[in-house]
Amino acid sequence: MSNPFSYIFSCLFVLLAHSTMLFNVYFNGSYTDEHQVFVIAAAVIGLDIVYFFLMLFFRQHTYNVDFMLILILNMSNIFQSCFGAVEFDHRHYITSLAALLASRVGYHVCRNHKWIQKQKVFIWIGIGLLAAVIFAFTGSRSMWITFEKFSIQPSEFMKILLILACATSITEQQNKHTVLGFSIVWENVILFFIAAGICLLQWWCRDLGSIPTFMAIYAAGFLLRICYPKAKFSRKTLFIAAGAVLLAGLVALHFAPDYVRARVFVNIWDDTEGDGFQQSRALIAIAEGGWFGKGPGKGALSGVFAHDSDIVFASVCEEWGLLFALMSVLMILILLSAPLFNPPRSYYHGTMAAGVCAAFTAQMALNIFGSCNLIPFTGVTIPFISTGGSSMAASGFMAGMLIAAQSPEFHKPGKKKTTKSKPGSSTKTAAGRSAKTASKSGTRSKTKKKPASSGRRAAV
Amino acid sequence: MKSIRRCQRIITLFILAFIAGMGVLVWKINKESPFYMMHSDNHQLGMVYDRTGGVLFDGIGKGKYEDNYFVDIGNLIGDDKGQMENTLVARNIDKLNNYSFSEGLIREGGQAAIYTTLDHYANRAVYNIFGYTEGCVCAYNYKTGELLVCVSLPSIDVTKGYDNIGELKEGTLISKNMYGTVPGSTQKVSTVISALEIMGRDKLFSKSYACNGKYINSSGKEIVCHNAYGHGVQGIQQGIENSCNPFFAQLIEDPDLPLSKITEKYRKLGYAVNDDEMKYIDIDGIQCERASTTLVDSGDFNTEWACIGQGETLVSPIQLMMWQSAIANGTGKMTMPHLIDHCTNTYGDLTSYSKTTYSEQLFSETTAATMKEMLITNGNNHYGGITSSPLAIKSGTAQVKEGAEENSLLVGFVDDDRHPIAFCVLMENKFGTALTAEQILKTLLDSLSS
Amino acid sequence: MEYYSPLMLCVITVAALDICALVLIIAAYREKSSGRKRWDRISSSMELVEQGYTYQLGCDEILIGRHASADIRLSDMSVSRYHAMLTVADGVWTISDLGSKSGVYVNGVRIKKKTLHENDTITIGSRQLVLRKRRNARDE
Repeated sequence: MSNPFSYIFSCLFVLLAHSTMLFNVYFNGSYTDEHQVFVIAAAVIGLDIVYFFLMLFFRQHTYNVDFMLILILNMSNIFQSCFGAVEFDHRHYITSLAALLASRVGYHVCRNHKWIQKQKVFIWIGIGLLAAVIFAFTGSRSMWITFEKFSIQPSEFMKILLILACATSITEQQNKHTVLGFSIVWENVILFFIAAGICLLQWWCRDLGSIPTFMAIYAAGFLLRICYPKAKFSRKTLFIAAGAVLLAGLVALHFAPDYVRARVFVNIWDDTEGDGFQQSRALIAIAEGGWFGKGPGKGALSGVFAHDSDIVFASVCEEWGLLFALMSVLMILILLSAPLFNPPRSYYHGTMAAGVCAAFTAQMALNIFGSCNLIPFTGVTIPFISTGGSSMAASGFMAGMLIAAQSPEFHKPGKKKTTKSKPGSSTKTAAGRSAKTASKSGTRSKTKKKPASSGRRAAV
Repeated sequence: MKSIRRCQRIITLFILAFIAGMGVLVWKINKESPFYMMHSDNHQLGMVYDRTGGVLFDGIGKGKYEDNYFVDIGNLIGDDKGQMENTLVARNIDKLNNYSFSEGLIREGGQAAIYTTLDHYANRAVYNIFGYTEGCVCAYNYKTGELLVCVSLPSIDVTKGYDNIGELKEGTLISKNMYGTVPGSTQKVSTVISALEIMGRDKLFSKSYACNGKYINSSGKEIVCHNAYGHGVQGIQQGIENSCNPFFAQLIEDPDLPLSKITEKYRKLGYAVNDDEMKYIDIDGIQCERASTTLVDSGDFNTEWACIGQGETLVSPIQLMMWQSAIANGTGKMTMPHLIDHCTNTYGDLTSYSKTTYSEQLFSETTAATMKEMLITNGNNHYGGITSSPLAIKSGTAQVKEGAEENSLLVGFVDDDRHPIAFCVLMENKFGTALTAEQILKTLLDSLSS
Repeated sequence: MEYYSPLMLCVITVAALDICALVLIIAAYREKSSGRKRWDRISSSMELVEQGYTYQLGCDEILIGRHASADIRLSDMSVSRYHAMLTVADGVWTISDLGSKSGVYVNGVRIKKKTLHENDTITIGSRQLVLRKRRNARDE
């Protein structure tokens, strides 16, 4: 830990936030067995403390994303345990553990762009395989693959791969080829077809909600790409591209199947028992909750299908109040704004952060505005707040990408030793190598100082 | 570095776009949440009170009321069950919503209420005098526009529910005051107003026509008078006092009174003539029909009857009452009636006041003065003893159900600054009861002045 | 009073969450400096100097050229729009020519791609840049 004070204060205040929530549940909640409250409290506070302890062994530059992540995940655990009645939600707790694990995996996979750019071909293979799986197993029947006990939604993992594909291909902008008088970057073309292919696949398997998410990710990647040296995109091209997307959307809407059009143009208050059921219930629940909510466990929305995923915002609003729901959304936004405090240091990390931000905001916007009847209702999840294993794991992985963007590594693959156990060693080898090649003696003395200082940091 | 700044700018853009969306959402929820709440099973309505603070509708449901306490104004006030659309509660349900978003569901003590201008005592008195007779009565203060009485029979006590909705008599769930009815001879007021506007007072007063019980009009059809022996030669004052049909048929045929001008004046009064679209009066959200008629040709039998008050003419009692206000005011402008005096929200804060408003000028001030004089003379000559104040009045008898039944109508106003009341009384099937419209009018005016 | 207690609890919970968020944001700001130090280590605290003007090397790929989107913009007609790219890995900076007209010279030798050392002189068109340690880093 580089800064023990901020570590201790962050820990204390995350614990404080969770404890006040638990106090709210205890004094204001609706429960028959108060043991359930203690179980939730033990699980949440226990997970906090264990994660804070484990964090001491993480070798990162910054830890604010980790703190935000545990804050949001346990907040979500308390939310999910209170819908309808206060009862500990095992499933969500386990999936939030999976999300934490996935964030570690995501961090270690994504932090070094020199390494991951070498593995680019695996990302493309992964996209191909996942597309094949979606095509073969989910099809137009449903967006879920159901195993014995649980079901997974493969399209969630597609988001990760698309972000990685966008981020890893960005340095290829230099390699232009001239085909039929046009100068073309092959990777741009490939990426475009990947994004278009994913959107078509999602259209085909009726998972229309995820298309805007993919489009937002691609848009973020595209926008960063056109600013890249030698990309040579003018503002005019940008407007034409935006116009084309808009036109394509309108055409798609015009030729959309009836059930899509019914969803888009439904007036929910004319059809409160049919297509508008979930949305009208959600809005009524928000209205009943008001600014300060009815109290944890006192919500009536828990009888409605997908109360804990698609219309989770309304469930939180009903029990905890609109104010608290807005705050919990704000927490996710603060998590996403981490790259604003501590800037990413390469195009790869920047694109990854922008891609994660695009995916999260698009999903939150689709979910919240959809359930509140601002835009057509689609079945997407709010990252970390909604229940669902695939969604939680994928969101956790994407949070790991944000951590990676905060704590980047710049080693060339193959030339380094492992950095995890000995944080100073990579610097040592680098320093040693540069010392060998250095022609001036002044450099040598300076670079030798470095390992000592980094070693001191690691000891704190 | 530029690349970093670009990336940060894109992230900021996404986050700001999302925050802007959230802002819109919060604004929308704040604004529309009372509407969402109306669809909730937990929503609670407030109260409707009369001008003295008596309860007319209890949305909270805590009060105890004697049997049929609400029956007199049942089909005007209505309820939120969705059976009666054109009623005060159904049209103003948002004003009764005992809800505020800042506190979500208010558990107890919401004070949302509508304070109406109605006089429950007078409404009950009028309702009771009808007995088993059907009909409707409306009366309002023509100086302020406060609707005081609006009774329509048969009616329903909304607290008893709608289990027997199939057995209810026709017209139970609507206030007949708001819908067109055959005006009978009260139509002659409109015709005289038109004639005064077109010919002027002196010319009209110089006209006289003979009546010998019936009149063969220019197209060869027979227009009968209710007096089989005839009224002899009459001027306009006698014509209106006798309510003489042949007199008016001849007036319509008079070349000084072209039909195109009558049509024009009728339209100005608010009639939907021939194929015109029906116009409505809005009384605090309640839709009230105006008048409609068919005018073809001066010599046409049906056109003449339309101007006399039969044929295809339909006028709502509220409209008949409002025309009287234009005469009573002396300005030719109708006082627009209103039902809501003021409202309070769930915290008991006043949210809206009513104001007295007037229509555009329908006819000139001299016409109003002349008409007033004629109607007061008629009142003095034929309806003495109903009030001590001067009473302007015009009676009417309307044949309905193809002549099988006759309805009695009385329209007019009390020319008294302390009790400025314009009214319309409609009593259906006058041969089926011993009651007379005059008795109903006396009850109405007595109960309002007490 | 009983009616207001849930409301108070909710307000307290929101307040606690907000304070927590505030503390985490402050912590993130404080970590910003440690992140910068860490970056200094990765980039060996190098900077480019041209006749008293310094260019910070804040990310791992730095474009040198005349184009407006270049990270280090040299407004000189002898410099190509996309002239050269500086990259860093393992604390070592490398310069590569992006197909420029006038070429890239390091210590007077024209190169396509070359690892840089401290106090190397890079010649781009008619401009001369020196890679050196940041002054405050040297004073450490």
